[in-house]
Amino acid sequence: MKPKKDDQPRIVGFLCKWCSYAGADLAGTSRKKYPSNLTVLKVPCSGRIDPLFVLKGLRLGFDGILVSGCHPGDCHYQTGNYRARRRIALTKKFLEYMGVPEQRVQASWVSASEGTKFAQVVEDVVESVRAIGPSNLFNDEGK
Amino acid sequence: MEKELRDQAAKLLEEGTVDFIVGFAAGTLKHTTTPLITGDKDATSSLVINPFISNNLATYALEISGRLGIVAKGCDSRSIVSLIQDKQITRQDIVILGIPCSGLIDLKKVEKLSGKERDEIDDIAVVEDKVVITIGSEKREVTAATVLFDHCLGCELQIPQEYDFLIQGPANEIRDNEASREKIQELKQMFPDQRWAYWKQQFSRCIRCYACRQVCPACFCERCFVEESQPRWVSPVSLWQDNLIFQAVRAIHVAGRCTDCGECERVCPVDIPLRSLSKEMYDLVGEMFDYKTGMNAGAPPLMTAYELTEVESLIR
Repeated sequence: MKPKKDDQPRIVGFLCKWCSYAGADLAGTSRKKYPSNLTVLKVPCSGRIDPLFVLKGLRLGFDGILVSGCHPGDCHYQTGNYRARRRIALTKKFLEYMGVPEQRVQASWVSASEGTKFAQVVEDVVESVRAIGPSNLFNDEGK
Repeated sequence: MEKELRDQAAKLLEEGTVDFIVGFAAGTLKHTTTPLITGDKDATSSLVINPFISNNLATYALEISGRLGIVAKGCDSRSIVSLIQDKQITRQDIVILGIPCSGLIDLKKVEKLSGKERDEIDDIAVVEDKVVITIGSEKREVTAATVLFDHCLGCELQIPQEYDFLIQGPANEIRDNEASREKIQELKQMFPDQRWAYWKQQFSRCIRCYACRQVCPACFCERCFVEESQPRWVSPVSLWQDNLIFQAVRAIHVAGRCTDCGECERVCPVDIPLRSLSKEMYDLVGEMFDYKTGMNAGAPPLMTAYELTEVESLIR
């Protein structure tokens, strides 16, 4: 999978099947408007998201990564999102240290009933990533 | 110290308490040691303890079946405990021969300091908080901190906490966390794009020999993501992009297992400052989750544990 050439910035979103994906669905069925820059990937649980996915996304040329799962306490598998939280927090901080702007990796909690929040989150993420410009991280030329 | 260790090791083999002893023997090159793995009690007479015993022998606990007697410095003992936490080994199968450690000497620093090559240096000896370098008839005394490994300056456990037998000996105070984080602080003062450019440049030298992974006791996956072909996460060809992903992901994967033993950086044939990644991760883990690797065999591993509320500020 490669990001499409148009719609800058290009964001890939890893959405948990039980909450955020359903939230995205609800945003759609409720006719909420949000930017089309997001490519959605459904994962069984936010706990499934390996830091590798984040880096692979950036490597493929996406400008930002959004990780989204159930609110703490709401995980379908009881503890998946707690584990995801530790992992994504470390990934974010560590990549920041390596020189990836913090806006490139973002996380959110969106429940299945939060269609409005989902639309808002996507808008905010797209806005903040657009502000720092397209990602040249893995380009051979450039910085 | 050495004699006590040799006697103890021989006794363990003789009694049949362990099948193998894993320790250090003198290396073939000057000022080096090599891991010694033996089931022969006579061979224990070649066990050594000196400031060059840099390998983290916990790695072998994963590779050798049978009951092992492992010679462990503080950092190695932490790696062993971490492996027990991760249920990779069982405590009953391991006899830990703890040895106190006053820091290990970084030969590269000595070579740089003296301007001589390894073979030209006759002797390097630790005398309390000083290191005496003998070249020919000339003796030069320097403070230990100038020639110890960076990771030794950040050492938090000079005497193993978990052990079956503790060999008696000195453990001079060497801790200087500032000095041990010097390179990291330099990096942190740069702008993000400068830092990225720095790592890009470093990883364009990587030859993907995987020495860092092989030597690391925390890297115990039977199949590493870099070797997966369905899907192929990273290219097997040494491209800086994939080298960088390999190391960044490796650092995150071993978070909470890394004890900052510094082996990855020491074994790197192209001198990539890998510890500037692993130490930062080690400190992040401590800061964010108040977790110290390998200090408590009963505690759950970092990534399987959680608090109900933590790091929420990072999430929308």
